[in-house]
Amino acid sequence: MSELPTESPSLWETAASHFDRWRAGENAALDDLVRLLSPMLWQVVRASGLDHTTAEDVVQTTWLTLVRSGESISESRAVAGWLCTTARREAWRVAKQSTRQRPVEDETIARRLPDEPAPEGQVVLDDDNARLWGCLSRLSERCQKLLRIVAAESRPDYTVIAASLGMPVGSIGPTRGRCLDKLRQELVQAGGR
Amino acid sequence: MMSTGDTEPVGPDDLTLLARVGRLWEQLDPPPDDLVDGVLARIAAEDLEFDLLVLVESADALDGVRSATPADDDSGAWSLEYAGPDFNVYLRLSRIEDHTRLDGWVVPARRLTVRLSGEDGTLAHETSLDEFGRFEIADTPSGLARITFLDEELVDRPRMTPPFWI
Repeated sequence: MSELPTESPSLWETAASHFDRWRAGENAALDDLVRLLSPMLWQVVRASGLDHTTAEDVVQTTWLTLVRSGESISESRAVAGWLCTTARREAWRVAKQSTRQRPVEDETIARRLPDEPAPEGQVVLDDDNARLWGCLSRLSERCQKLLRIVAAESRPDYTVIAASLGMPVGSIGPTRGRCLDKLRQELVQAGGR
Repeated sequence: MMSTGDTEPVGPDDLTLLARVGRLWEQLDPPPDDLVDGVLARIAAEDLEFDLLVLVESADALDGVRSATPADDDSGAWSLEYAGPDFNVYLRLSRIEDHTRLDGWVVPARRLTVRLSGEDGTLAHETSLDEFGRFEIADTPSGLARITFLDEELVDRPRMTPPFWI
């Protein structure tokens, strides 16, 4: 029933407790919240297809929005989801008006399989991730994009995702399921799970 | 050979698989090292009670008229330009003997209160922009000064120049 991957409840609980402390007047708790959730927001924004510089700017804007209007969040457990939705909307808004937008697919994400030498600055994938990456890259571009977006946050807002991918809201769930099925088949064929 | 039973689902369930995809992207595309510092700096700037205008241009109309310890017989003019998030400010300072006149111009014109204060923050002059965005202070105090622009409805945060010499 739950949309939450297994490690997420603790992330959301921790975020809620930082948020409560900040609202109680403890300024350092906001720093804790920023450290905890910025990596997730980075993934959410990058999954929307923005370049590095623009993505950093959108993450910063997202936090400023929380500082300015965080009192509108009535349920503190909703803060992580609120930030993800705000980040995705801002990323989409910026992408639409910006000529700087470059789809992530067009970027060369430097990566190496484990048995290859790794020049400085390149990511070395372990065996499992190398196999997963190989399988993902055999999916359609739309599946790759959708799975990255959905994986980036724990409670995705399908309305915003649908708008940013130009898909009907109702088709996101089934499409996600088909993309995951395809990925599972590829993993089985690649001899992994 | 696959070792899964007939009734067992093949491969990991949706949420496990999505979590793995998420971890893969965390490894492929990690956030920049300074992401958190950048966010904290932006928040710190937001916490200031005013927006700091940025000096974009400064020019002496006559060479040598401006120095840290102006002599009484200095005369001449110099100009400063500051940029804010939504307007620019041009200042022209004209010195005749020991009096310095300040003429200012805000573009685009808007209704703002202008406060000139000394180094210690004491208010020296207060005036308003006219309908063309201009203001003047006929005789300014010498020394370090800064100007604060206040929105008359107090909707926007005050805008303040960095300190400059008169």
